[in-house]
Amino acid sequence: MPLEVREVDGVAVVALEGDIDLQSSPAVRQQLLACFESHTRVVVDLSGVTYIDSSGVASLVEAFQMARKKSGTFALVNVSSAVMRVLSLARLDRVFSIHPSIEAAVAAQA
Amino acid sequence: MSAREAITAVRKPASAPAPAAPELKDHLVLVAEMTRVFAASHDLRTVASSALERITLHMGAEAASMFLLDDEERMLVCTACYGPVDITGLRIPAGIGIVGRAVTHQEGQMVRDVREDPDFGGAIDAKTGFTTRSILVAPLSVGRETLGAIEIINKASGDGLFESDDLALLEILARAAALAIHNSRLAQRLVQQERERHELELAAEIQRDLLPHAGAHGFPIHGLNIPARAVSGDFYDILPLSDGRIWFNVGDVSGKGINAALLMAKTSSLFRCLAKSAEDPGQLLNAINNELCETNSHGMFVTMVGGIFDPRTGTVRLSNAGHEPPLLFHADDESFSAVPADAPPLGIASGIAGPDGFPSTEFNLQGGSLYIFTDGLTEATTFGGGMLGNDGARALIRDHASEAPELRLKNIAGAVKLPGQSLRDDLTLLVVEDIAEGVAPAAASADLTPGAGDIMRVRVPARADRLKMIRNATQQAAAYVGADVGWTADLVMAVDEACQNVIRHAYKGRPDGGDIMIDFVAVHGALEVHLMDFAPSVDPATIKPRDLSEVRPGGLGVHLIRSVCDDARFVPPPSGVGNLFKLTKRFGSQIKGR
Repeated sequence: MPLEVREVDGVAVVALEGDIDLQSSPAVRQQLLACFESHTRVVVDLSGVTYIDSSGVASLVEAFQMARKKSGTFALVNVSSAVMRVLSLARLDRVFSIHPSIEAAVAAQA
Repeated sequence: MSAREAITAVRKPASAPAPAAPELKDHLVLVAEMTRVFAASHDLRTVASSALERITLHMGAEAASMFLLDDEERMLVCTACYGPVDITGLRIPAGIGIVGRAVTHQEGQMVRDVREDPDFGGAIDAKTGFTTRSILVAPLSVGRETLGAIEIINKASGDGLFESDDLALLEILARAAALAIHNSRLAQRLVQQERERHELELAAEIQRDLLPHAGAHGFPIHGLNIPARAVSGDFYDILPLSDGRIWFNVGDVSGKGINAALLMAKTSSLFRCLAKSAEDPGQLLNAINNELCETNSHGMFVTMVGGIFDPRTGTVRLSNAGHEPPLLFHADDESFSAVPADAPPLGIASGIAGPDGFPSTEFNLQGGSLYIFTDGLTEATTFGGGMLGNDGARALIRDHASEAPELRLKNIAGAVKLPGQSLRDDLTLLVVEDIAEGVAPAAASADLTPGAGDIMRVRVPARADRLKMIRNATQQAAAYVGADVGWTADLVMAVDEACQNVIRHAYKGRPDGGDIMIDFVAVHGALEVHLMDFAPSVDPATIKPRDLSEVRPGGLGVHLIRSVCDDARFVPPPSGVGNLFKLTKRFGSQIKGR
């Protein structure tokens, strides 16, 4: 499933959809990392995500690490309570930069 | 030592001066002393040499020698001697000469003057340069058994010729010597027997180690071997593969005892070694046959049933090389079907089975049990005195069908082995049980919860593309017990993460690794989820929650499971195969992990 990537003020905004699980996370991981080939600032929109498992979380962690390596930024927006539950259980809610909206995230990274 | 080598002239110390003619009292002292010396030692050669010296000196003779019959009783061999010429090792034909005459007739011989005796050959004199004038020979015999003779040569005192008193004395001494020799040989034989018994015990110990260790309770294959003697010509083996399938065999080497045991060791090693790379039992048996035929097995051969069992499907594929037909027993209608022998035994001729190997057949146990046994069972004598036979074997299997497999095999064997008595033939039994049928009742065993609360069982291939189905099923199970959204989401995540571990760790990510079976069970105040896979055992210690201070992908699943469940642990699987991971989540439990 190709991800929808759009650009807002020089920031790549990636929208993830559906269940991010062991089945889909390898593709998610690959495409998130690919964003950093053209951009240094990436925002992931999780509004369409219905489920995320540890492998999906791991993909987000890798993208986060890639951003640091490239001296870029990585932010999450529209995090549902279900996804936030997993992130907080993984103690990653304080690691990721999390914003209520795309606009807020883009503004924070300007 | 050859006679020629032995006849190396050795100068003995000069004889003591000839004493005055000994009196009866002196004779008795000597007899008493010799008897005591002979009885005290089992080192025949040393005792004999010193005894001959004492006798020679006592009788005022020049030389003495002891001849013993060799194993074939055709030659007399000089075992010890005393005198100017060492003839130890000298061999003379048993039937000739004056010594031969004494041995043959078991009678003392006195030849006062050898020139007057036609049996005196003088052969030894010719070889040694010694001059024999007068000879006394007393046979060494115990009961009817003749061991050899003692010979005394040339009397130094008087006219240089022996008297009949001399012979009487020598005969008494020879009797004591013969007893000593006899005892010495008995002692040697006992030592030898003890050594052989000890070696046999070691062999038996090693052989027992060749048999597989008892499988865990609930393992689908069990075996039993009872040797008729110390070592067995029968064998069985059970060899689980990493993909969950299990090789098994039962074999019977023709004959018993140590030679059969050695061939057994060789055959079972070949099976173990070749099975690891084999796919089909028929080809495996063919390969074993060709290897066995490459080396001469002295007319011995091996009958064998070798097969592979897949506990996930209940499918057996086996090949039978001349062995008793295995019996498939169905407990529900108590019916038997025999799997016939369709190939000759192993070790008779290579290439005997044709290019495709030995024929193999595949069938499903369909909930039944497959029994493979050696003729030690069917040809065993029953308590009634008759032979058990195939019908008797079937009756025994039927009688014990409801028992646990380990106990069942013991009881079947016990029915033909009289207590305290050894079997006539080695006895080996092996049973393959269809545990796919056995999982359901086993899940209700003491460790798990009684089945009353069962909500749902899901069995799917352990693949990432089935995880969504598993999550949906988990959601349905949670809805069934009336759980709220947050509780349900946590359980869904825990089950999903546990299944990921099965896919990634137990089946190592192979898409065709095997199934995962999930039971949702409502228990008092909680929901239990039993996740069963059919992969080789996973060491739980290798799956650890990750250290959360590190921001690193991976290793997160177990942490998530533990965070949202009240209990999560591996428990011994009821079937003994695969892994059973048990999650417990209490209703209304406080959410942990915050």
